[in-house]
Amino acid sequence: MQVEVSLTVNGKLYKQNVEPRMLLVQFLRDELRLTGTHIGCDTSSCGACTVLLDGKALKSCTMLAVQANGKSVKTIEGMAENGALHPLQEGFHQEHGLQCGFCTPGMIMTAADLLSHNPSPNEHEIREALEGNFCRCTGYHNIVKSVQYAANKMQAS
Amino acid sequence: MANIDAFGHVTGTSIYVDDIPVMQGTLFIKVFDAPVAHGVIEALDYSEAEEMEGVVKVFSYKDIPGENQIGGIIADEPLLAEKEVHFWGQPILLVVAENEIAAEEALHKIHISIKELPVITDPKEAFLKGKFLHNSRTFESGNTENAFREARYIFEGSADSGGQEHLYLETQGAYAYPMEHGSIKIHSSTQGPTQVQRTVAKVLGIGMNKVEVDVARLGGGFGGKEDQASPWAAMTALVSWVLKKPAKCVLHRMEDMRMTGKRHPYRSDYKIGLDKDFNIIAYEATFFQNGGAAADLSPAVMERTLFHATNSYQIPHVKVQAHGCKTNLPPNTAFRGFGGPQGMFVIESAIDHAAQKLKVSRESIQARNLMENGYQFPYGQIVEGCEARTCWEELNAKYPIEGIRKDILTFNENHAFLKKGMALMPVCFGISFTNTMMNHSRALVHVYSDGTVGVSTGAVEMGQGVNTKMLQIAAQEFGLDASQIKLETTNTTRVANTSPSAASATSDLNGKALLDACSQIKARLKNMLWVKNDLEAGAEVRFEGGKVWMEGMEEPAIWIDVVLDALARRINLSAKGHYATPKIHFDKIKEKGHPFAYHVYGTALTTVTVDCIRGTYELEAVHIVHDFGTSMNRLVDLGQIEGGLVQGIGWMTMEEVAYNNKGRLLSNALSTYKIPDIYSVPKEINTHFLPTDNNNMAIYKSKAVGEPPLMYGIGAFFAIAEAIRAFNPDAPLHLPYCAPMTPEKVLMALYGE
Repeated sequence: MQVEVSLTVNGKLYKQNVEPRMLLVQFLRDELRLTGTHIGCDTSSCGACTVLLDGKALKSCTMLAVQANGKSVKTIEGMAENGALHPLQEGFHQEHGLQCGFCTPGMIMTAADLLSHNPSPNEHEIREALEGNFCRCTGYHNIVKSVQYAANKMQAS
Repeated sequence: MANIDAFGHVTGTSIYVDDIPVMQGTLFIKVFDAPVAHGVIEALDYSEAEEMEGVVKVFSYKDIPGENQIGGIIADEPLLAEKEVHFWGQPILLVVAENEIAAEEALHKIHISIKELPVITDPKEAFLKGKFLHNSRTFESGNTENAFREARYIFEGSADSGGQEHLYLETQGAYAYPMEHGSIKIHSSTQGPTQVQRTVAKVLGIGMNKVEVDVARLGGGFGGKEDQASPWAAMTALVSWVLKKPAKCVLHRMEDMRMTGKRHPYRSDYKIGLDKDFNIIAYEATFFQNGGAAADLSPAVMERTLFHATNSYQIPHVKVQAHGCKTNLPPNTAFRGFGGPQGMFVIESAIDHAAQKLKVSRESIQARNLMENGYQFPYGQIVEGCEARTCWEELNAKYPIEGIRKDILTFNENHAFLKKGMALMPVCFGISFTNTMMNHSRALVHVYSDGTVGVSTGAVEMGQGVNTKMLQIAAQEFGLDASQIKLETTNTTRVANTSPSAASATSDLNGKALLDACSQIKARLKNMLWVKNDLEAGAEVRFEGGKVWMEGMEEPAIWIDVVLDALARRINLSAKGHYATPKIHFDKIKEKGHPFAYHVYGTALTTVTVDCIRGTYELEAVHIVHDFGTSMNRLVDLGQIEGGLVQGIGWMTMEEVAYNNKGRLLSNALSTYKIPDIYSVPKEINTHFLPTDNNNMAIYKSKAVGEPPLMYGIGAFFAIAEAIRAFNPDAPLHLPYCAPMTPEKVLMALYGE
């Protein structure tokens, strides 16, 4: 059985028939070939698959593609605009907030949600926002710094 | 210099195995694995599964054209179980289907009947029953028997450390497809491309020259993909080879946790003897390594435990023994530190034990016994370039230990239900594969006709930043901007017979091979320039800033002009570099030699606060002085320190690998197995560089940094123990040296009688 879904991803409208049990993360990765959204666990614990759904951070393995019908999704591939990195992308790059890179897109998307409603978060608020995202390589300190870098940059501009 | 993969990572364009666009006709593999930990397969029926829609074939061991054997050091592990199963999660069948969902559904149509056999999960039980994976070994120096007779104080006890799930965020996986001339190509998430190549060749019964393994990068490895990336690669290769189609196998997290081995749990007994001044004069330990159901890398891991059994301490009389015990857990494997941490935890426990009984601080015993140059390790190597005391003193200068201790005492006096504790953790870690023959490497460099450079090495990038360091080397040697250099994927057809990216030695080994390749090309260019410009042979030629400066010439030549000139003169602008670590050797009969190129030193000071109502704890700060040599990339190296430390803290505190007595993994998902999250890491991590420049065995004198910091995490265990004792002075009786120190254990200790 196939069901039609229609959703906007990174500003582009997609209408497609999908299996009703297809997860949003599978739709993004397998149907749209947006593989920057990673799958790290089976239990919605790790946050590697985080995207923005109507501007709110969402673990895309917790939602069916059909549930995103009519909504707007932003993935890591949609963060840079006109070739310029988003301040968060720049922050993770500059502050060495990454090692193997597998958790990075999820971290950035979660932080993007935070900065959209709290443009100058303190360290505690950053940690609170990122508590659902695991990183196995770093000790998170540079990740916090990366978000602070972005917040400062966005405030300045 | 920032990580060269950073741009790809932040834009989501870095490619991991699961991101490779699959070809038309790709088949998907699901593994049917053992539902018990030990037993004899009495009946196995997969006919119903094979008839399901979308299913192409179900593979058993009978479909393997070559050998059903994936054991690395010892040939004791089948790819697919034949008559018996030896651990819960052992692969038995492969369901191959046109899509993953069909394969998944077919798994439920397989009927198996297994006659269960007794299950062993405890290494001491295995030892008593004579179940071994490999030979026991003993390292000995001096005469402990005599020394214990002379010792004023002797303490005996046991110390156990638990397993640790690697939890690389990218699970195991591979993608294989047939190529021309009866060959096959495999994209594998492996730290050991050659190991995958060798295993696949064996399983398919073909030459290694027919197997091409390519690795772009890993989403984390930590040792878990050193040997244990091979099964999944071999499965995709098998399916692809037999069915002549592309085949993919990427494990889901719970499959990965169930089917793969982890850090070895150890049970250990120790005996420590001190003289009247608290000098440690004798130390004995027996290690019972829980190797799981097959040898995997256990013999090498066990060896490193023995090498690191005395950590940074100068002990004249030592006898340490280790047994590789066979149990019904998944074969345990490499994990950052590779047995070293397990050995160090035991001597730190022994010292703690002595300190408690003698009513002195741990650090007073530690400091007094730190090793000095000239000391001979129990395995025969003489200590050179020792920084154990320098690191300790530098730390004390920056963070006066006595002052911190006083502050903690004051805090504890003033708080009834919050108690602080501290611990120092010195680390001395040997750099080189302990198997001498693995310490060699190669690199391939091409200078193209537009002056850009391509670099291939045997190093696998897994987040540790090795490719960034490789690029720095090529850029520095040719005097070019980083943008002119490209690091290629790690590929067995370009660089062959590689050792895995492991043992902290990847940058040294591959970096030195790369240095050799660059030097060869530079030597040819120099020769050309001397002749062309009528210069004296041997005149200095420097490659810098995209120019080539020559002694005796006022104007430099431009790099691209030199390259074009060389090509016009038909000079070879490609080179294969080679490196074999000099001076190292080890005699496994005498158990003596000089196995390590050098040692890395450091000291960490950890402070914690324990909530004595809840049993929870917070890591307040970890201050580290670390011997980096002359760091060639401070950003990357600091990242290794921080990440290694946090992984070590996880192993010692919250990461509890739990099996039930039937050998079933209970902590089988990220929801039940807790790795450090953003709250549980130390609030403050301060790493100070101890700059030293006496080590020529390290690439550009920049010492290896991958594994050593993990062992700083051991301090967390003893800092928490100290805080517990501040609340409950009777706690030692109820606080065995048994890691991890989970909040449950803390609570029990706080209120034990």
